Amino acid sequence: MDLVDVLMKLSNLDGPSGYEEEVIDYIKKEAQKISKTDIEIDKLGNLIVRKEGRGKKIAIFAHVDEIGFIITKKEFGNFFRFSTFGGIDPKAIISQRLRFHTRDKDIAYGIVGMLEPHLQTDESRRKVPSLNELFIDMVENVDKVNIGDIGNFSSEPFLLSEKYLTGKALDNRAGCAVLLYIMEILNEFVQRSESFFVFNIREEDGISGARGICYRIKPDLAIILDVTHGDISRPSYPRIETGKGPVLDIGPMISYEYFERIKNLAEKISVNYQIEPTGGVSNTDTDIIQISAGGIPTLLISIPLRYMHTPYEIVNIKDLEETARLLAHFIARGGE
Amino acid sequence: MYLKELTDISGVSGYEKKVREFIMEKIKEKVENIKEDNLGNLIAFKKGRERKKLMISAHMDEVGFMVSNIEEDGKISVIPLGSVDLRAVIGKKVIIGEREIPGIIGYKAIHLQRDDTLTPPSINDIKIDIGAQKKSEVEGRIKIGDFVAFAPNSMIHKEWFSGKGLDDRGGCSLLIDLINKDLNLAYDTYFVFSVQEELGLKGARISAERIMPDFAYVIETTTSGDNPEFSQDRRSTELGKGPVITPAHSGYVNDERLFNFAIKVARENNIPFQIKRRTVGGTDARAIALSSGAPSLVISIPSRYIHTPLCVMNLSDYENTLRLFSILLEKEVE
Amino acid sequence: MKDLIKRLTQVSSPSGRETEIRNTILEELKGYIDGYEIDKLGNLIVWKKGKSGEKLLLDAHMDEIGVIATYIDDKGFIRIEGIGGISPYNLLGSTISFSNIMGVVGVEGETLEELSRNIKDLNFDKIFVDIGCKDRESSEKLVPPGTFGVYYSPFIDLGERLVSKAMDDRIGCAIIIEVLRRAKPYHDLYATFSVQEEMGLVGASTVAFNIKPNMAIAVDVTSHSDTPKGNKRMSLNLGGGPAIKIKDSASISDRRVVEKLRSLAEKNNIPYQIEILLRGGTNAAALQTTGEGIISGTLSIPTRYVHSPHEMIDLRDVENAIKLLILLSEEEEVLI
Repeated sequence: MDLVDVLMKLSNLDGPSGYEEEVIDYIKKEAQKISKTDIEIDKLGNLIVRKEGRGKKIAIFAHVDEIGFIITKKEFGNFFRFSTFGGIDPKAIISQRLRFHTRDKDIAYGIVGMLEPHLQTDESRRKVPSLNELFIDMVENVDKVNIGDIGNFSSEPFLLSEKYLTGKALDNRAGCAVLLYIMEILNEFVQRSESFFVFNIREEDGISGARGICYRIKPDLAIILDVTHGDISRPSYPRIETGKGPVLDIGPMISYEYFERIKNLAEKISVNYQIEPTGGVSNTDTDIIQISAGGIPTLLISIPLRYMHTPYEIVNIKDLEETARLLAHFIARGGE
Repeated sequence: MYLKELTDISGVSGYEKKVREFIMEKIKEKVENIKEDNLGNLIAFKKGRERKKLMISAHMDEVGFMVSNIEEDGKISVIPLGSVDLRAVIGKKVIIGEREIPGIIGYKAIHLQRDDTLTPPSINDIKIDIGAQKKSEVEGRIKIGDFVAFAPNSMIHKEWFSGKGLDDRGGCSLLIDLINKDLNLAYDTYFVFSVQEELGLKGARISAERIMPDFAYVIETTTSGDNPEFSQDRRSTELGKGPVITPAHSGYVNDERLFNFAIKVARENNIPFQIKRRTVGGTDARAIALSSGAPSLVISIPSRYIHTPLCVMNLSDYENTLRLFSILLEKEVE
Repeated sequence: MKDLIKRLTQVSSPSGRETEIRNTILEELKGYIDGYEIDKLGNLIVWKKGKSGEKLLLDAHMDEIGVIATYIDDKGFIRIEGIGGISPYNLLGSTISFSNIMGVVGVEGETLEELSRNIKDLNFDKIFVDIGCKDRESSEKLVPPGTFGVYYSPFIDLGERLVSKAMDDRIGCAIIIEVLRRAKPYHDLYATFSVQEEMGLVGASTVAFNIKPNMAIAVDVTSHSDTPKGNKRMSLNLGGGPAIKIKDSASISDRRVVEKLRSLAEKNNIPYQIEILLRGGTNAAALQTTGEGIISGTLSIPTRYVHSPHEMIDLRDVENAIKLLILLSEEEEVLI
């Protein structure tokens, strides 16, 4: 499996929260190439791959959805008002071209516009317009667009200096690509666990697909694979950097016992890792999974990422490979 | 029409070489002579019936940045060239220097911002990320003084065009079309593709001084304001309503005779047109007046979101502006 | 239909005190259902059997917002707190009914300036209820601390438009009652009249657990944008038809529920609107995450002045919602 190629394809697919079909279908095809066993799309739309094995039940989750946009009102001419799925910074969307999927499966392009500075007052020029002052200028297929149509960034992924990949939706297609890669690596190992690779929907809106799956599978350990902020200094926090390996989250939302185990394993097999403290909520599926189905031990492993929720997020390719290596070994050993 | 090709070229103010080379290729067979002056203006000459001198100009440069420093962490600091609206640059792809190295303008995630999400970034917050982790990885590939242009992003959508740099590649494309049309020119016409308009109308100033035209037309792309956030009575222009004839703008009132002449020609030939309703924005017309004393008229193609990396134009406006100029250049001014 | 709506909205049943409305609803359903159950929280569950083997669940919440008397002062004035999302601003100049004891709401202000400031910055500490008693003893006899109260507000028939308190969500209850009366369901039709939605979707969080329906639809009110300088980003009009919800701030409707309702409406020429609500949520958010997850959505009635004493709906939207839901339950097609 060409990790970079798969991630670029994943980035180009459109799957905002609640509308992930296109991405799930692609992942299913890739999963079928890797594993001939149990692949299922459940009734909510999550993709679950089950790999036989004796030992603990370990489930790894990577959410498939990305942040997105939705048309809320038609104004005159080509203009529409909109809302968003997930947290979006108005500064990051002004002058961006968005891609919308209409009900009849046409593609419409729209530009997020704001009033030109020449025509603004001094006062308004000093502020960034909020979502209430922005609008979409639909330049293609405007007649096919309706209220309720869903869209996302249209930025195309590319490589930066050979070592980094940039594009939209790397939160959390990077996690999905790594999960597929883990499945492939595990083909070479003898596995001492029964594993479930879950590509779940709707993490960004908080009503995650992950919850229901916990009730069905009731895993002994749930590992959540997501992204975290990289290369930014936050007061009182260690500086997490891209290129320095997977991030092991520590805090009340994970199991300390399993944390120690995976940390020791990383040292043993020479995987560079970083530790990130998280206090209350992690804002990932970990929060929900930990308290589902009567309580499940969890681990949160993150890939460092720059510029989260902007049209060009960045990840380090080596980080992806090392994260996959660590988790594959961990799962093969049944979480010991 | 060369909107797509022209807007996709990197040609930031002061670094117009690639635009100039493209235009040169397209027009060199069609004009009597071509000159490039000290600053980089491209001046093409075609004889007309009368011995009066008409200058018609559009500027080649677009707004962008210049590399000002390479930071220890591998990020690139920049300073603006022209007035880029910094509220519209985050999350955009850019091209740096002759080697065309790609990068992106990143910004810290919204999750990490507190109450300042609606505060516009300052130029110090704008850093280009090319995927380097330290300064040494950048040196040798990028240097201080390299230009930083927004990456090409043009798209043609039936009756709309979207892309960067419509201000003023729209005008340049029109000029090329006019040259290629083999018009029966009324006057000796100097087609000027000027530089550094965004940095103070520099190119037009010196080319006008050399040519000393009797009068001039300036082709620009102008702002509109025709969107849901702006009531109709306060807009400047509207897309789809035709070329914009400007009575006055920042620092110059357009020549009355030329103004009335253009309106008459438009009406007689059933070309839709609009009068610019606001006096904001400046153009080369002022520089032409100050340096050569020649009167001018600005006629523009209306556009949305100029000075951001993604602008919009209605192609019918382009066609109608082309029609209007085709007739104007062949007629003697009344 | 108008009489049914009047009867339901005039009942006083704030969150946590739903006995009266539950009894009223049961009365209205006598002879129309195959069975019912009241669960431990007080949710009313009724059903009407079909033959397809698939289960369709319709939910409306029985509770309305209100107030609770917390303290009686020595002059007989009553202090209150809110129950559910009731705003002190909606209480200014209103009348409250504490189980048929009427009271008028007043504001504190020792000076004219303070009065003005209090109104600008209003909260429950600055208001009180006056039931006309002169001292604590007589007041407490009628309204002891812990008594619940609701808006006192008449039902107003304006022809096509009806106004009353508690359209949220007695209108949903009325709709479901009519569906149960008129439908000859192909699918097993379950209806849940849930408690304490206004307190955070309490009743709905467990009501569907044992039912495990194939599809669940919450029937509730939504907002509007068709009044002077009404919300500029939404597009919801009274009389424009029932609103098929795509998302609100608590959940995203399952795409398939949206599509199903939409195509049924189009096939049968029933007017409808597409709803994106910028702030607000319904029981669908709780139904969605029940157990292993239920495929859910919401059908809404556009309503003006929600959570005020005078909520306004359009009767045609109500009739069309009933038609649509009857079709859904009767259509001899796979539900999902």
